[in-house]
Amino acid sequence: MLFIVLVLISCTLLFTGNTYQESVYLTSANRVSSSIYGVSQGVTGYFNLRSINEDLQRRNALLENEVLNLKNAIGNLNTLVPMDSAEAQRLQAHRYDFVSASVINNSVNRPRNYFTVNRGSDDGVRPGMGVVSQNGIVGIVNVTGRHTARIISLLNVTQIFSVKVKGTNSVGSLIWKEGNPSIAFVTEMPRHVKYHVGDTIVTSGYSNTFPEGIPVGIVMAQVRASDDNFFTLKVKLASDFNELSTVRIIRDMYKSELDSLNQFDSKEE
Amino acid sequence: MSKSVAGNMIIFLLLLLMQVLICNHIMLFNVATPIIFIYVLMRLPMDLPVKMVMLASFLSGFLVDIFSDTPGVNALSCTIFSVLRKPVYMMYTGKDDNLAGLSPSISTLGAPLYMKYLFSMTLIYCMLSIGIEFFTFTSLSRMLLIIICSSVMSFILMLGVDSLMSHSGRHT
Repeated sequence: MLFIVLVLISCTLLFTGNTYQESVYLTSANRVSSSIYGVSQGVTGYFNLRSINEDLQRRNALLENEVLNLKNAIGNLNTLVPMDSAEAQRLQAHRYDFVSASVINNSVNRPRNYFTVNRGSDDGVRPGMGVVSQNGIVGIVNVTGRHTARIISLLNVTQIFSVKVKGTNSVGSLIWKEGNPSIAFVTEMPRHVKYHVGDTIVTSGYSNTFPEGIPVGIVMAQVRASDDNFFTLKVKLASDFNELSTVRIIRDMYKSELDSLNQFDSKEE
Repeated sequence: MSKSVAGNMIIFLLLLLMQVLICNHIMLFNVATPIIFIYVLMRLPMDLPVKMVMLASFLSGFLVDIFSDTPGVNALSCTIFSVLRKPVYMMYTGKDDNLAGLSPSISTLGAPLYMKYLFSMTLIYCMLSIGIEFFTFTSLSRMLLIIICSSVMSFILMLGVDSLMSHSGRHT
């Protein structure tokens, strides 16, 4: 006991009174403690992944929001160069906003698949809003409760999305046919559209559900079409529907305005 | 007993002064520094309680540290040294020897045994103190050279101290 006490006193003197020994001790101690912390971090790191993932998703949503709004602003500015700056600024106002949500129920093996998220009308979610994952589009809001919402999955044979080959302006319709949850088809692509296998399919922006340019999938091959004027593309979907966990619901600030315009059109007809 | 304690203390103080004023400033051929203050610790009677030896060793190391500006180096070395003293002595003399009042010296152990004991303990102390001072194995060969040279030099000097002691002992 006395030996331990004396050794401890000596070591304290040694490591506090000698700069060299102190630095060697600190370096070695750091090496030991850092390796221990490394092991412990390796174990406990997994416990926080959920919250870290949610945080990243939230931040990603903010950044994506910003990118889309900036794209929108650039688009507006390109068309508004002759306008005065006040007008341009007014039109630069943020158009899109995202609500981050977790998928609480999902199906992929039925002809009409839906999934449920933990955000509802209280969070500003409304039917008809687009839903995207970190990889691409996944569906459209169907019905909303106060705290949850049912989403029509992209894997639903009744749902059609307006898409285009990235870099072109020719629009086609994305539909899913039963079976493989990672394959969909783009129909009604005009014959003249140039594409290559591996090209990205993105949203067209012609509907007011999704902004333009959100990834949908990658062209795998062309398949025979019933109509000679159009062709059909087989597409590998960007989102993995089996592993859908966190999604973002897109709020378009112009949606009500655009909807009322459309209603006005239909009344006229 | 009290006379021998007082005598040991005086010798210790003299050796301490020699250590801090002279020996610490010697670096013969850039490899050998003599350490002589441990002479008294080695000569302490073997039947003294280990705790007392440990405390005395720690304090003497601590004193040397204060004067040498090497806090902890000699205190730690002396503490470990004090624990190893008896096992080394036992290793050379055999476990059954009667230790009562026995203080290691040429007269009590005989020259060969005493020298073995003295050199072993000196080597152990040099290994401890120089090892702690280096505190790394990156220059192991130089450290070993210094340990061996310092041990040899300290051993020779301590033999000298020993002969002086026995000489003065005979005259008084």
